[in-house]
Amino acid sequence: MQFGNVSRRSVRQSSSSGRPCSNYQARSLLDMAMVLYIGLLHRLLLACLVSSSLAFSAEFTFDVNILPHSPAVEIGKNFTATCSLANASEATADDLIWYFSSKIIPREQYNKINTSAVNVTITITSETPSRLFCRVNKSKDTKDTYGIELHKGYPPERPENLSCVALQVDKRISNNVTCSWDTRKRANLIETKTSLFFSSGSDEEKEKEIKDADKNSGTVTLSIFPHHMNAKVWVVSENKLGKVKSDVLETEADRFAKTNPPFNVVAISEKQFPESLLINWSQPIEKVYVKLIYQIRYCKHGSQTWSEIPLDDTAREIHSFRLQYLRPYTLYITQVRCKMYREGFGYWSDWSRNATKMTPEDKPKSKPDLWRTINNTEGRNRKTMHILCKDPELSNGRIRIFKVKMQSLPWKEVAVNRTGSEDLAVDLRQIEDPRGIIFVEVIACNSVGQSPKASLKIPRNQHQFPPVNKLMWKSDKGQLLIEWQTPDVSAGGSPPMHNLTEYVVQWVSGKDGKMDWQRENRSTLKTFIRGDLENFIYYNISVYPIYSDWIGQPVTIPAYLEQGAPSHPPSIKLEYLGSNNAKLVWTDIPQEKQTGFIVNYTLYYFTLNESDVQAIILPANTYSYHLMTLSSNTKYLTKVKSSTIKGSATSPEHMFITAKYAPGEVKGIVVGACLGFLFLLLGITILCFYKWQSIESKWWPTIPNPENSRIGTWTPDFHLKNKARCRPYASVQAHYSLPVTSTLIGYHCLASGVGALKVQFSELRALGVAASTPPNAALQRFNASTAP
Amino acid sequence: MIGHMYFPLLLQPTKSFPSALLSLLLVMAVHSSRTVSLSRSQNCGIPLQQSLKLTRLIHKESVELIRTYKASQGAMSELFCKSSSSEVPQPKISGLEPSERLLSVSSILQSFLPHLQRVLEQQTDLQSPSSRLLTELSNVRNRSTSLASVISCLYQNLFPNLPAPEPAGGPTQMPPPQNIFQQKVYGCVVLRRFKDFLLNVARELRTLKSRVCRMPPANTLF
Repeated sequence: MQFGNVSRRSVRQSSSSGRPCSNYQARSLLDMAMVLYIGLLHRLLLACLVSSSLAFSAEFTFDVNILPHSPAVEIGKNFTATCSLANASEATADDLIWYFSSKIIPREQYNKINTSAVNVTITITSETPSRLFCRVNKSKDTKDTYGIELHKGYPPERPENLSCVALQVDKRISNNVTCSWDTRKRANLIETKTSLFFSSGSDEEKEKEIKDADKNSGTVTLSIFPHHMNAKVWVVSENKLGKVKSDVLETEADRFAKTNPPFNVVAISEKQFPESLLINWSQPIEKVYVKLIYQIRYCKHGSQTWSEIPLDDTAREIHSFRLQYLRPYTLYITQVRCKMYREGFGYWSDWSRNATKMTPEDKPKSKPDLWRTINNTEGRNRKTMHILCKDPELSNGRIRIFKVKMQSLPWKEVAVNRTGSEDLAVDLRQIEDPRGIIFVEVIACNSVGQSPKASLKIPRNQHQFPPVNKLMWKSDKGQLLIEWQTPDVSAGGSPPMHNLTEYVVQWVSGKDGKMDWQRENRSTLKTFIRGDLENFIYYNISVYPIYSDWIGQPVTIPAYLEQGAPSHPPSIKLEYLGSNNAKLVWTDIPQEKQTGFIVNYTLYYFTLNESDVQAIILPANTYSYHLMTLSSNTKYLTKVKSSTIKGSATSPEHMFITAKYAPGEVKGIVVGACLGFLFLLLGITILCFYKWQSIESKWWPTIPNPENSRIGTWTPDFHLKNKARCRPYASVQAHYSLPVTSTLIGYHCLASGVGALKVQFSELRALGVAASTPPNAALQRFNASTAP
Repeated sequence: MIGHMYFPLLLQPTKSFPSALLSLLLVMAVHSSRTVSLSRSQNCGIPLQQSLKLTRLIHKESVELIRTYKASQGAMSELFCKSSSSEVPQPKISGLEPSERLLSVSSILQSFLPHLQRVLEQQTDLQSPSSRLLTELSNVRNRSTSLASVISCLYQNLFPNLPAPEPAGGPTQMPPPQNIFQQKVYGCVVLRRFKDFLLNVARELRTLKSRVCRMPPANTLF
C-alpha cells in the first residue's frame, strides 16, 4: 500500500528516450543528465508533497485513487467517496473493495459508476474509523490500495443570546468591549474558527478571532468607545462543515456601558431631623458620556436586610437624597449604585462603598418597660421586691436617668450607668417585705427629652385578676414557644375592675436565678422568648396578665429550651433488708439543676448467677421501691437509671445480700420453745395436781406407823435406852423406786432377843420424796434375816 | 406638495363652490402638515438625540483638548491661540431654512475633518508617542467623523427629498507646509474654531428640535 510514492513510470518514460552519439552524444548525454536531474527533482518534490498529504490531487500516480481527499465528514450524515482505477490498470470496478482498517464494507453500499469507478456511501457515526481504504481485490501490489483520512465532526453551532459589556476605566468607558454568547455544549471535533465582529462609527468593522473554540466570549478593542453611536455586533463560526452567523445585535453602543459605582458617598445627620439622613455622592463619569440614574439601599448596622428606596424616587440625575422615617439614634449603612438612564440600556454598576452614619437622638417615644421581681432575702426569712426597668423600645437615644415615683412619694432620679451597649434592666428600688398595694411610676430620660410615663400596680390580692389558661411551652427550631389562652374573667368570681391590656412573659433561670421578661399585647396568645436562653437549663416560665397596669395572677410552668440527658445519675441506697425482700431508695439532684425533665426511673436488680436483669420502670415522682420475692442469703446487685427524652444516666451498682433468716425468726424460735416448755410444765403441774393421790400412792406408799403395831411398844429409842444390850445387827438397804435408799438398821438386843428396828428415813425425808414401796418388804426381809 | 391629496366626502352639495374649495385646501394643508410632522417626528427622535449628545460630548472633549494642547505647546501658547487663519473654516452656520442650516452644519463639519487630521499628523511629529494630546486629538477626530455621518443621516431622514450632503473628503482648502511655530498656531486655531463650531452645532440642533421635530397639536380640525 502506498500513500503517494513518486511515480516510477513517469520517470522511466522520461528517461527512456535516447539520441545518437558523436556530436549528438555529448548533447544526448547532457540531455540524459538533465532528464535524470529533473526526474530526481521531481521525485523529491513529490515526496515532500506526499509527506504532508495522504493523497495526490492531480494525476494518477497510483493504480487506485479516492475522491475526495481528507474530507471533513459530519457525524450522523451520509458520506460518499469514489474510488477509481488508473487507465492502465488491468482491474475493473468490480474488483474494487472498500474497507476500514479491519472491516470490509458490504457491497450493498457500493454504487458502480462505470467500469473503473465505484462509489461507497457510509453513514458517519462517532464510532466510524477515521481511515477509509479502497483496493483492488486479491491484489498484492501495494499500488492497488488507496486510503483517505476522515475528519469527523459537526458543523459549528449558531451563537445565540449575544450580549456585550464595556466597563469604565478611569473617567471613561473603556474601548475594550467584551461580548459573550451561548452555544450548545458540543465538543468541536474539527477545527472551528469563531470570530467576533463589531462595527460602529469610525470603527467600520473590527474583527476579533476567538482562539479557544470552546470559549463563548471575546473582547474586541475599538479605537474609541462609540458613545451615542449605533453599533452592530455579530459572531461567525466556521469550520469545514459549515459556517454560521449569529443574529446581529444592532443597538446604540451606550447600551453596553457599565460604569463604576458612585464615589464619595457620604451620609450626613442633622440634629433637627432625627429621623432622617442626607446622602450625597459624586457621579463616576461625566454626563456627556453616560447620563445616569441611581438606586439607593440602606440597612441598620448589624442587619442583613436591605431596604431599597423605590426606583421612581431616585431614577433621576441626582447627587443627593434624603432618607426619611428612620429610627433616631440608630446606625445606618447606605449604598448607592448607578446605571445609564435609558430604560433597557446599560448595566447597573456595583454597589458603592458603605456610608455609615448614626441618626441624631430624639426624645423617647415609648414608655420604659417596668416590672418587678420578688426574691427571698438571703439569711432572713423575708421577701424583697425589686422594681426593675428596661429602656423604652423607642428610646431614640441613650437613656441617662430614670425618674421613679413610689406611692405618693416625690420623684427620684436613678442614674443609668451602662458600660456596654447591652439592654440591661436597671434595679430602681428595693422594697423589703412588701405588703399592700404598691404603685410605681417611671419616666425614662435621654439628652433630648423624657418618655411617656410607665406605671405598675401591684395588688394586695392577685386573685381578683384572673390568670391565663392552658399555658404550654414547646421548643421550636431553637426557640422557646409559649402559648396560652385568654384568662377566664369569671374565674375570680366577679369580672376584674380593669380590662386586660397586655401580657408579661417572665422567665427565671434555674442555673443562676436570673430573671428577664418581655411584654406582649393583649391579642398575642403565643410568642417566642426573645431572650438568650441556654440549652439544658431549667427555666420557670410565668405569664402575667396585666389589667391596666395591675399585675394579674401568674401561671408558671417549667420549661427547657432544649433538654439533654441527665447530667448526674441518681444515688441509690438500701433502706431495709430482709431475707426475701429489700427496700431501695434513691435521691436525685433538684429539678432546677437537671438538664431535662425526668420522665421515668428504671430500677434494675439481678444476682450474680442469673443472666436476666430484672427491670422495673417507675414514674418520675417515685424515689423508693420494695423488692419482694427475693431469695434469702443471696447477693444482689441493683442500680437505678433516670431518663429524660434525650437520654439517661445510670447510678453505680449497689450490692446487698439478703439475710439467711428473717429478722426475729431466731427470737421467735427461742420464744416459742420457751413458751412451749412453760406450757408443758404447767400442764404437768396441773396434771400432778389432779393426779396427786395416785402419784403419791405410787411413789410415796404409806408405811404403817410402827407405833400402831404390836411392836409398837418398842420405842424407837429403845436401843438407845438399852444401848449396852443392843448392837447393830444388820442393815438392809431398801431401795425404792426413786433413787433413794434408806438404811434399815436392825439392832439385836440381848436381853430380850428382840431386835430393834430403826428405820432411817433420813435420806427420804431429806429429799422430800415419799417412799413408794412401803417398807414392809424390807421389814419382812429383815425379819427373815434376823430370825433366830 | 408634501403629503397626500384628500377629498372629504361629507361636503354638502348646497355649499358654495368657493367655500368648498377653501375647506378642501384647508384640509389638505392640515393633513399634509400633520403627515410631515408625523414623519419628521418619527425620523427626528433617535438620530437627533444622538447628534445632540454626540455634539455635546465632542464639544466637552474639545474644551479639554484645547487645555491639553496649550499645555503641550510650551511657553506663549496663549498668544498663538489668539491668532487666526483663513484656511481654517469659520464656525458660523449659515442658511435660513432648517434644511439649509443643517446642510451648512454638515458641510462645515466635513471641512473641519481634514484640518483635524492635519493637526493630528503635525502633533504626532512634535509630541512623544505616549502624549495624552495625541490620544485626545485622535478621540476628537474619530468622534467628529462619527458626528459627520450622524448629521448626514439626520439630514437625509428629515429632508429625504433634498440632495444628500457631500461626504467627507470633498475639496477643502488646506494650508501650505508650515514650520513648527506655524503648526502650533495653526493647531490651536483649528481646535478653537472647531470648539466654537460645535457649540453652534449644539445650539442649532436644539433649535431644529423645537422647530422641525414638534408633535402635532392635540385637538385637530379633522
